[in-house]
Formats: sequence, C-alpha cells, structure tokens
Amino acid sequence: MNREVRDQVAAVEGPGEREVGQERRAAASPWWARALRYVVRDRPELVLAPLALVLLVYLWDVVTRTGLVAPVLLPSPQAVARALRVLLTAPWFPGNLWTTVLETISGFLIAALLAVAVAVLMDQIRLIRRVGYPYVVVLQVMPSVVLAPIFIVWFGFGISSKIVVAVSTAFFVILVNTLSGLASVPENSRLLMRSMCASRRQMFFKLTLPTALPYVFAAFKTAATLSLIGALVGEFITARSGLGRLLTQFSFALRQDMMFATVLVVGALGIALYGLVAFLEKKVIWWR
Amino acid sequence: MARSIMTTESAGGTEAATGRIDLQEVDKVFTPRRGSVAIEALRSISLDVRPGEFVSLVGPSGCGKSTLLKMIAGLLEPSSGRIAVDGVPVEQPRRSVGMMFQTPELFPWRTVLKNVLLPIEIFRHEREFHRKRALELLEMVGLEGFQSALPRELSGGMQQRVALCRVLVSDPSVVLMDEPFGALDEFARERLNVELLRIWEDARKTIVFVTHNINEAVFLSDRVVVMGTSPGRVLEVVDVPLGRGRPRTQQMMREPAFTDCVFEVRGMLGL
Repeated sequence: MNREVRDQVAAVEGPGEREVGQERRAAASPWWARALRYVVRDRPELVLAPLALVLLVYLWDVVTRTGLVAPVLLPSPQAVARALRVLLTAPWFPGNLWTTVLETISGFLIAALLAVAVAVLMDQIRLIRRVGYPYVVVLQVMPSVVLAPIFIVWFGFGISSKIVVAVSTAFFVILVNTLSGLASVPENSRLLMRSMCASRRQMFFKLTLPTALPYVFAAFKTAATLSLIGALVGEFITARSGLGRLLTQFSFALRQDMMFATVLVVGALGIALYGLVAFLEKKVIWWR
Repeated sequence: MARSIMTTESAGGTEAATGRIDLQEVDKVFTPRRGSVAIEALRSISLDVRPGEFVSLVGPSGCGKSTLLKMIAGLLEPSSGRIAVDGVPVEQPRRSVGMMFQTPELFPWRTVLKNVLLPIEIFRHEREFHRKRALELLEMVGLEGFQSALPRELSGGMQQRVALCRVLVSDPSVVLMDEPFGALDEFARERLNVELLRIWEDARKTIVFVTHNINEAVFLSDRVVVMGTSPGRVLEVVDVPLGRGRPRTQQMMREPAFTDCVFEVRGMLGL
C-alpha cells in the first residue's frame, strides 16, 4: 500500500482502527550497525543462503582434491570453470545455444497460444467442454515426453520435431491452469455483471479474462521450464545442433567437465526464461 | 402492529415517480437434478413496494430472501406468479434495477473510480458527465481523494462504500441490497446505515434491503417484511411507526416506538 493512501485511510477510519503507529525511536547508532542488526535479527538468510553455496563448492573441492571420487566421475570445480570458459568461447557454441533457445521459445509460444485458445473455447462453449474434458484429464497425467520418439519420426531430425516436443510438454499445464482460472470467477461478480445487463463479450473481457490472468501466468512460468525440458529431451534422442546434443556428445566422449559446464549453461537458460516470464507477469498483472 | 391505512404517503421528501415493484403470488421451486426432490424455496409471495419506499426483508437463513431479491433483479425466474417493476414484467436484468451484495465485488484491477464507473462502461453511457457524478458520490460517502486507489488498499467498510457508489452512479430507480453490510463490524455497519439513510433521503430510490439484523431493518425501513422458512413465505408486513417524520436519527433507537417495533418483529420470528 502506498504511503499516501495509507494516511488517507487512517484519516477516514480514525485512529486506532488500522495500523496502529508502531514507530520505533529513531536509532542513534550508525547505519552499518543498524544494517547489521537488521540482517542478523530479521533476514539471516541474506547471509546464510550464499554461504551454503560457498560451503557446498568447498566440500566439492575437498572431495575431488583428496581423491575420494575419481576425477573422471566428478571433475573439480576448477576443471568445470575451465571447461565453462572453453565452452563459452568455442566457435560452435552460439549456434548450439541458439538452436535450443529457438526451440524452447517457439515451443512455449505455440503452446501458450494453443492452450489459452482451447481453454477459452472449452470455457465458453459447453459442448466442447463436455466432450473435451475427459481427454484433458487423461492426457495431462500422461508424461508427454514419452511422445518425443514418435514426434521425431513424424517431424524429422531438424528443429521442428523439437518444437513439437516442447509444445506437447508445455501445453497441458497451461490448458489446465487457464481452465481453472476461467472457472474461478466469483459467483457474485458474475451476478453483478449480469444484473448490469453485461453482454457475453463484456463479461469475458471485463471480468473472466482478468480473473484468469494470474492463473495463466503462473502456468506460463512452469511452462517456460517445461518447454526447455521438451526441447532438450528431443535433442537427446537425435539432433544436429543444440545444448541437448552437446550433452550427449560430451557424454560419449566421457568429458564430465564439459557436461557439467553445459548443465550450468542450461540452468542459466532456464532461470533466464523463467525470469523473463516473471517480469512480463509483473507488467501484465500490475494490480497484485 | 397492523398495517395502518394512514401511512400510504411518506411525509418527507418528494415522492419518486418510478421504482414500483409488484409481486403477485410468486412461487419458487428448485429442482437440483432430474429425479431429485424439489425444494420449495418460496411460496405465494405477494408484495407491493411503492416508489421511493425503503423495505427490508428479515428472516432466518433459508427463508428465501436472497432468492426473492434475485428474482426481482431478473437473475432468477419465478416458478409461478408475476413480478413487475414499474408495470413491466421482469424477464431479465434491467438497467433501472441495481444490485449490491454482501461482498463488495470490486474488481482488483480497477481503481476505485473505474470500479464506480463500471456500469457506465457497460451501458455505454456518456463518460465525462458520469465521471463527475462518480466523484460526487465518492465525496458523499467520505472517499474523496481515493479515486485512484486500488480496492486492496481499502478497508472492508470503504470497499462497500465504493460498491454503494457503483450501484448509484447510473441512477437506478430500484436498488436491491443483499445483506450489504453483513460482513462488516458493528461500527462500520452503523456508520454505513446512517450514510445509506442520508443518501436515500436525498435521492428517494426504492430500496429493498435484505438483512438478518432486526434492529437494522427497523431503523432503516418504512416497512419490514418478516419471513419464515420451509417453505419461505411472508409471515407479516410491519409498518415502522417511526419517522413518518423522517429524517430518522440514531436517537430514535431509544424511543419506545422503536423498541416496541423491534420486539414485535422478534415475536413474529419466535425470538
């Protein structure tokens, strides 16, 4: 709540009804002491969470250094860092990265468009809902990556078969969430709109769609990651290019250090895609 | 208290020309599923509400008061009987009848002002004029300066005031209120009741007000319709003897006529 509004609320409600002034005495101590006290008392995770990562990498280093695990199985952090530098500077790397990015984003966008369209149709037209719902229920519990080998046969070894796999992995989570979002309109809101003689169109654009948007974007965030998984699985099976193909190649070559480096890149890509969708979500659902 | 023949004309204010509601022998039977037992929600309801009258429906849960309200709004069809507003049979919702619920039902993605203007948008009425009117209404309920706030920034009482402005902005002749202040605490509720009376005395709309609260019903209304359950039906219609000398004030709650009336209604409900 912004401050101005809060003050006005207090003015209308009178004192005491809301947010009793809980002002602490102005601290006389310097800013760094206050910051330190704040972190220790209220937000210890700000320090402890990064510390856990440092500790983990240190343990990893110790394990590889003492020879508890053979370097072929677990490369040292330093080896992975070197491999990462090799990977990122290799001339063939951008092309492989781009293939996976392109497959993931195309797959996500196609899945998003299709799933939202199907959900809206199912929500608006009762016959379609009744016919389609059993299939949605059955298909959403099926792990759709098992379809990947079939899609490779149908759509070839190129990029299009991976896009289809990505679409099929991302589609259902969006469909199911959008359906429940569209169905989550409060009964009284619907009655209110009806009492104002709202048309079907007005009902949809002024009430149903905005109500469903938070559900849709929650699904988009999951679907972005699922689309990446779909693209990678497709590439595992067979591909000419892509991060998934790099992984299988490094695996055959027993280059654990390069595999770890590639995994780090895939992880960063996943986080970036998720962050992008989360950013869009904040822009679109601004009222939250 | 029997219905007095002397009370057909309300003393204060101008009599509104529109907003008459006629219910004749209205029944409502719900059949949840084919083959299941039918539930008789309302039996043989007959009631005339005069233009500009404030009528409350009181009764225990399940007496069908909300159902009755929804039928007047055109949101539900009666199983038999006739409902008319200003002589026109009610077949579907209409613009001259506004409705308010227990929950404010403000849309969180709209500012306070845009929430108030929702009916205007839906009716495709002229915006600029109604914007001014909306701001006046907000000022009248003590929310000046809040037009750009979001609903989640307001307390429950303030949200319900916004909902009140929203139902009034298109100037309907009938306002149907389904326990509008039932979810609020006692203080907010009393303040809103006083404000509602003030607004009603200014604008003289027909108000049908559903509540569980007998004090509230008697304090606000010209007439109180006392309802009973299984099946939902009208037990009695009580004329409130207070304030043919309106405006009504909270001091009147101490008058013997007020308490007598409250106890009369309580008696009818078996309390």
